[in-house]
Amino acid sequence: MSNSNKYDTAFIETFQVDAQRLSGLQYQDIKEWDSIGHMQLMSVLEEAFSVELDIDDIIDFSSYEKGREILSKYGVSMADE
Amino acid sequence: MNETTDTGQVMSFDTMGIQACQRNRYPLLFVDQIVEAVPGKSARGVKCFTYNEWFFPAHFDDEPNVPGFILVECLVQTFIMSFLCMDEYKGKKTNFVSIDNVKFKRKVVPGDRLEVEAALDHFKRGIARGHAESYIDKEPVCQADFVVTIPDVLDGFRPKSSRA
Repeated sequence: MSNSNKYDTAFIETFQVDAQRLSGLQYQDIKEWDSIGHMQLMSVLEEAFSVELDIDDIIDFSSYEKGREILSKYGVSMADE
Repeated sequence: MNETTDTGQVMSFDTMGIQACQRNRYPLLFVDQIVEAVPGKSARGVKCFTYNEWFFPAHFDDEPNVPGFILVECLVQTFIMSFLCMDEYKGKKTNFVSIDNVKFKRKVVPGDRLEVEAALDHFKRGIARGHAESYIDKEPVCQADFVVTIPDVLDGFRPKSSRA
């Protein structure tokens, strides 16, 4: 599975949301992405990409797009897939 | 009381010590004593039931026994002591996220002494996952798996956009 697919799957499975809804999705746009859902998403992504996110990055992780940008800092590239 | 063993720090708490760690109070405090708490790992607690408990006359007048939701509270109130005994979390409120695999195996009646053994399987950023089992005279009573949060800790990780 590509990094991009893994990333999307983390959102889809954590929030039970359709793939079409992901683009532009922001924190608290859906009831599932609340403070608890946010921590669950962070755990799933850390496990999927074998990284440990810094507190500042967890706080900055405010949207689907922002998360892709943050993960790139940890060497998780999704740009050319 | 605290002591240090080869496996780390071991703590114990009486009723007042428990109330210094967690926010549950009468009539919803359902652990009398923590006989052993290993911070970040486990806790063992005791709850003694007498007929003076407020719920026995109502559940039931002709056959007093402890309601299932109270047994679940006994389990979780021991479970949360595995992390609320740590200085950084002491006194914080907790919320349930989920309770799974709950099983009840015998009735608990006035005079019973319930022993609870809880293990913290994973604890990160204010989310605790674990499980607990309970016994009376070594006979299994009930068990459950828990996910519990510390809202104060979660708040510290909220994305910026939600912070007005």
